Amino acid sequence: MQSSARRKPNRVAGAGARRIALIGAAAGMLGGALWGAAGPAEGQAKREAPLALEGPASPVPWKRYADWPKPSWDNFNTLAKTDASPPAPKPEAVRKIAEEIKGDPAQGQKLVFDRSRGGGCLACHAMGPATAGAQVGNVGPDLSEIGNAGRTDEWFYNYIFDARVYNPETVMPPWGAHGLYNGEEIRHMVAFLKTLKTPVKYRSDADNPEKRPVPKEDRDNLDALVNPGMWAVDKAKELWSAKGPSGGACVACHANPEAQFKTWAASMPRWEQRLNKVMGVEEFVFRHAKATTGHSWLMQSEQNLAMAVYLRHIANGAEIKVDVTSTPAKAAAARGHQLMERKIGQLNFACLDCHAPAKGALKWIRGQWLGESKGQIPHFPTWRTSRLEIWDIRKRFQWCGVAIRANDLPPDAKEYGELELYLTSLNNGLKFNVPGIRH
Amino acid sequence: MATPTPRVRVPAKAKKGEVIEIKTLISHDMEMGTRKDADGKTIPRKIIKLFACTFNGKEVFKSDWQPGISANPYMAFFAKVNESGTFEFAWHDDDGSVYKASSKIEVA
Repeated sequence: MQSSARRKPNRVAGAGARRIALIGAAAGMLGGALWGAAGPAEGQAKREAPLALEGPASPVPWKRYADWPKPSWDNFNTLAKTDASPPAPKPEAVRKIAEEIKGDPAQGQKLVFDRSRGGGCLACHAMGPATAGAQVGNVGPDLSEIGNAGRTDEWFYNYIFDARVYNPETVMPPWGAHGLYNGEEIRHMVAFLKTLKTPVKYRSDADNPEKRPVPKEDRDNLDALVNPGMWAVDKAKELWSAKGPSGGACVACHANPEAQFKTWAASMPRWEQRLNKVMGVEEFVFRHAKATTGHSWLMQSEQNLAMAVYLRHIANGAEIKVDVTSTPAKAAAARGHQLMERKIGQLNFACLDCHAPAKGALKWIRGQWLGESKGQIPHFPTWRTSRLEIWDIRKRFQWCGVAIRANDLPPDAKEYGELELYLTSLNNGLKFNVPGIRH
Repeated sequence: MATPTPRVRVPAKAKKGEVIEIKTLISHDMEMGTRKDADGKTIPRKIIKLFACTFNGKEVFKSDWQPGISANPYMAFFAKVNESGTFEFAWHDDDGSVYKASSKIEVA
């Protein structure tokens, strides 16, 4: 059959694979406008790239990075698991507090200021003069005078225990319901909150989340003497001609990657019918290199990151343009959107709780500025000066999870693919500037 | 750790007597010798202990480095050039390895 003559064999054999290949070819024609920019020089824009389809693209079983926090939060939702967290309370399910709460305000203050259990209240709230120099955040309201607001003890208690009984849309973690603080501790916190009656006076604008200057990244991210992320480009150029176990090297088919892939990375991630999932640059690098050269450049390996940086770097300046119009891609992006709204982890946050301007985005969580969903994709993979390593977008997703106490998924998880597709579609029209540099 | 790669930036041209800025950077972990690995064992020290630069064979800059120097050390300094020639750079590692780089400059 003609398909076997014109295509290099991939791992799936037999009639089923050929049928998929034909469907893929048809889809390729429909998507011709998208791929047109790759140019006739390539001559293979409509031919599907060979992929090793079997097995995962990241280490199995997935083990969290050695220098990351160790705990595992198996009793709470992840992007892949929706039935682990305790169910949200009914709106009227207020816990009755009959008698006055008599806690110890000093102990309450200690708990409120403590960063070890989910970040502490100051991450989002100013709480009176004692917090003037604490780099408080402003995702939640300033509570400096909450003691004057005429709130009942029952209201205070329930708001900390699980604020969803009063406001189902709240982004506030259910501190009691998710076991971060026990009843007695919450009583101490209530006692402290009742003492708050004086506005906070900041020593400087830098302490005041309403006036703190927004961080601006202005380092020259494309200068190898400024951004070690650029070293990955040199590394990838070496790898380009490195022969794999099956004798092949990238250069054998792609002699001039800088011309051939001038826009390719801007069309990724994309729906991959053969895998029945969304595939990003990193997973593509693994599966394509495996099929053609025998290299086993698993996601998150040094080689994989170098290639991922390089392929986006040579697409710098190209407008991001991922396809979310074909039926399966549209459905995958819709699932990605749902994932961004899914509450996960012990802190019970959804992506959009922190990254939608209507909620937490463009505000401070302690001294950290919460960016919005648009504008993140163009600089990934990015060099983290605080970690001395390159992070691709999947590692960023994993870190978001761990930061809100939700178990990370393997980098090749289909949920991350759907999330990446939807997030990238929000960045359509922006231009790559890779590798980025961030703290 | 990956093989240390030196990078240098020297202007291609300068006027006679001009003071030029030379920027250097080498990728290197600069393991300070006090950290412990996951098993609690001390990770042995491996740092670059000496950095030197010569111009046409004559020493122009030299510095001893200590365990407090950061990973991927960046060093920039100034030099006055009176003639065309070659800057040579050498980073001396604890294990005896020497990483070298050089850069030519044309002085008019």
